[in-house]
Amino acid sequence: MRFPKLGRVSLYVLLVFLVFVFLLPLWTMITTSFKTVQDVIYTIPLEPPLSPTIEPLISSLNIMERPLLNSLTFTVAATILSCLLGSVNGYILTKIRFRGSDMIFLLFSIGIFIPYQSVLVPLVLTMSRLGLYNSIGGLILTHTAYGVPITTLLFRNFYGLIPDSLIMAAKTDGAGTWTIYRLVVLPLSLLPFVVAAVFQFTSIWNDFLFGVTLARGSEAMPASVALANLKGTTEVNWNVQMAGTLWYAVPVLIIYVVLGKYLIRGYMTGAIKG
Amino acid sequence: MFTKDKMVTLIFFIPSLVFVAYFVYVSIGWNVVVSLSNWEGLTPSYKIVGFAQYANLLGDPVFLTSLTNNLILILLFVPGALFLGLFLAILLDLKVRAEGVFRSIYLLPFSLSFVITATLWAWMYNPSIGVINTLLKTIGLGFLKSGWITDANIALYCVILAVIWQFSGYTMLIFLAGIKSIPESQIMAAEVDGASGFNLYRRVIIPQLTSSALSAFVVLMVFALKVFDFIYVLTGGGPGYSTYVLPLMMFRDTFSMNLFSYGAAIATLLFLLVLVIVVPYLYISSRRGKE
Repeated sequence: MRFPKLGRVSLYVLLVFLVFVFLLPLWTMITTSFKTVQDVIYTIPLEPPLSPTIEPLISSLNIMERPLLNSLTFTVAATILSCLLGSVNGYILTKIRFRGSDMIFLLFSIGIFIPYQSVLVPLVLTMSRLGLYNSIGGLILTHTAYGVPITTLLFRNFYGLIPDSLIMAAKTDGAGTWTIYRLVVLPLSLLPFVVAAVFQFTSIWNDFLFGVTLARGSEAMPASVALANLKGTTEVNWNVQMAGTLWYAVPVLIIYVVLGKYLIRGYMTGAIKG
Repeated sequence: MFTKDKMVTLIFFIPSLVFVAYFVYVSIGWNVVVSLSNWEGLTPSYKIVGFAQYANLLGDPVFLTSLTNNLILILLFVPGALFLGLFLAILLDLKVRAEGVFRSIYLLPFSLSFVITATLWAWMYNPSIGVINTLLKTIGLGFLKSGWITDANIALYCVILAVIWQFSGYTMLIFLAGIKSIPESQIMAAEVDGASGFNLYRRVIIPQLTSSALSAFVVLMVFALKVFDFIYVLTGGGPGYSTYVLPLMMFRDTFSMNLFSYGAAIATLLFLLVLVIVVPYLYISSRRGKE
């Protein structure tokens, strides 16, 4: 659309102002992470530090290191497992189909939206009985189980685009349904695997509710819970808190910069965890 | 009913079926049973007492406060994020240079954990040395300084503002996709008919965004009911109960006070509220998919 020149200028002024608003909290996180306690008090949060220091980054890493490694472990494991299951499910629900498969898909879809509070008490009981309360294994199982509905949706949407004629052709050549999955469908699945993996990694990494319910105050504590605890402790200075936040944000920020367009495709599928 | 060939593949479906059946449906049912019992304290008790817990909820002022706060979130956060997202989408649709860069920046907060954004906003709203009060003082607007999240009268609105910040990039994304899917020929036809600028959007583009708006609406409504992490970390429900919401109340009553059946009753209500929104939506979108 054409705009008079003054209109264009004010449009960009507005856009840049909005950039400032959207990035302000993140910018002050970075500046504050590199400030001494004195700088935090005597400089404006927007300003870069007068005497930059990595002290806050080191002391927060001392607290966050183990939880960050915990998060990385169960996030990677549950991402892989939920994507593999989602891929098989997507194939079954689009290319094999059977009576009731639409109903099953609807029941899976409801699983995407449910408030997890409504399963929390049974979940704690289940995990205790399995001996998986306060363990990495318990978090892997939980995130895999609750990840299956969304990965199924993602793969189902992609596999719906694979022409049935391709499957039929392989069938005529005598391939069984499992062989067709391995030799025809799986090689076409790089894109959905990247989209689902990026989506699952960020959702599981970002989770707080399952972590705080199943693994608080333990060797399996996720980074989200450790950061919330860090914030809850009033003696911890803002620079250390912001540095801890920075550590926890870094993996998702890297994914966002490098693989953001796949994450967007995940969001566009219309389902959001949280 | 199934050939042996299909059975081989369907075996791989079993783990997922078990996961969803057990962790979603059996667990929800189990939770309903707990909500009908009198289980308090650490040892499970399944003595069924009927709807006593639900009746207690109606007389609990904390429940009424939490429910009201969820409703205020629905009334302010949902339209707020929808309108800001639509506004951003329209701005970026005006043939902006580096549109992709602006889009990525506005969407960035949405990709971050609520624990991160809540910690950042705790720093923004900190009354003594936090970002907002310091900035106001620096630009000579010191009289606008406020206690923000420490002031019970405005804490909930501070929460709402921050979640609008986090979600409007998402609604922008949904609306942008909706705008891009309108055929160019329609827009050109409208321009030939003399529609331009504001009118083009009001009469031609926005009316065609109803399905985008619907899917964003559902996601926002569900979030407004499920909101937990952000409030837990930012305010912990305080000051007092001023930012309490149902999911937070459920968590506290269950896991801090060991009122398991009471917490389960709140959780069941929450589930039903989400169902009321989600089921019609899934029904409509599956109908639309078949057409």
